[in-house]
Amino acid sequence: MLGSSRSVAGDMFDRVDAFVRDVSDVQGEADLAELLAEISGEMGFSYFALTHHVDIRRAPAPAIRLANYPSDWVDYFDDESLGPSDPVHRASHLTSIGFPWSKLSSLIRLTPRDHQVLELAARQGIGDGFTIPAHVPGESNGSCSFATNAGRPLQEEHLPLAQLVGAFAFEAARRVWRVRHADSHPSRQLTDRQRDCVLWAARGKSDWEIARILGISHETVIQYLKRARERYGVSKRTMLAVHALFDGTISFTDVLKR
Amino acid sequence: MVLVAERVRQPLDDGVLRAMFEARKRVFVDLLKWDVPVLDGRFELDQFDDEHAIYLIVRGDEGEHLGSARLLETVRPHLLDTLFADLCAPPPPRGTNVLEITRFCLERRLSAPRRLAVRNCLVSGLVDYALLRGIATYTGIAEMAWLQQILAFGWVCRPLGLPRIRNGKMLGALRIDISAETPTLLARNGIYTAPALDLSDTLEAA
Repeated sequence: MLGSSRSVAGDMFDRVDAFVRDVSDVQGEADLAELLAEISGEMGFSYFALTHHVDIRRAPAPAIRLANYPSDWVDYFDDESLGPSDPVHRASHLTSIGFPWSKLSSLIRLTPRDHQVLELAARQGIGDGFTIPAHVPGESNGSCSFATNAGRPLQEEHLPLAQLVGAFAFEAARRVWRVRHADSHPSRQLTDRQRDCVLWAARGKSDWEIARILGISHETVIQYLKRARERYGVSKRTMLAVHALFDGTISFTDVLKR
Repeated sequence: MVLVAERVRQPLDDGVLRAMFEARKRVFVDLLKWDVPVLDGRFELDQFDDEHAIYLIVRGDEGEHLGSARLLETVRPHLLDTLFADLCAPPPPRGTNVLEITRFCLERRLSAPRRLAVRNCLVSGLVDYALLRGIATYTGIAEMAWLQQILAFGWVCRPLGLPRIRNGKMLGALRIDISAETPTLLARNGIYTAPALDLSDTLEAA
């Protein structure tokens, strides 16, 4: 919505504010992808790609990948294990500010193979792009990219907006992937809340203390721990901690570190 | 353990705070090359380091400075309503239950794992301090790499304005909303360490 008394920057901020509120609520990948597709289009892009820079087929931990690139390109990308070596990804490791792909050669030395990769992408319809680096210490490098259809120029005025969209979308993806991985792990039997209660119980807190720590009612804590005991088929609090440690739901570090 | 210093009239008279101002000089002036005043060639402090500033300090076994942060009242002039007003789209959040986090500083000489541990301790201390004092919102300004880390702690963050380039760095302003659930959100990302807050009279109070 463009009002005559509002600045363009004000509208762009309102848009990113709305996007951030929307992604903070998403429960799954599909919803997040839809929000990204929507805002990409509004910024004048046809494609988005939010990803960890790993070889997706060999990555040991579940790697984040959310993109709407043409599927032929995605297949080629993965067949060639381009995750770690893609020139756009490599350049993103050297800066924390979003950059247009036209500036790639000022960040890294482009090899003949790099030129070939960029050319192949263009032939698949992926034109000019803008990439926002996303790095969390202790985790794989990642980024969020937006790209135009080949032949269409970047709309540079949207870049500060894209910077924030990329940062908040990446964090939303981290959250979605963390929850998804927890549910799909065969030994993980507890909900987030049940696990929180088990962890504090393992740290020696009473039900009442746990209620205070988590800001929920005493009765609710009793119920969560009862469900957790039922899931593990145990009747004692101590055995609950032992089982949760055994299957990795909680770790010794979680329990003991202060 | 996180030491809390509130209402300190002469911060430079205190040994613990002097060590903090020296660490701030090493990080913000020597390393990050910020254009900020330095006293005696040793201490980094500015007009906001007065008796209204609150300091949280993580110390090592020998009492040495490992990390610290400065909190500024938003009902008084602070960074977001003075030097960095262009980073905030609406008027900046202001109130007795809103504090601005500034000068978040980790000792340079720490190893990477140790630095992350101190970082997590300091962030946990910020949350516990907010819950203790009824602070509902923190605001702050961060360079983009640090901003991504701040989001990754897992607490509830919202942008306050579009980011801008200043001296070759892109800066953005954030608000962080604190509630009883915040320790759990941080714990899910392996950040919350439930540190003890030390509000002792090691330092002179008002």
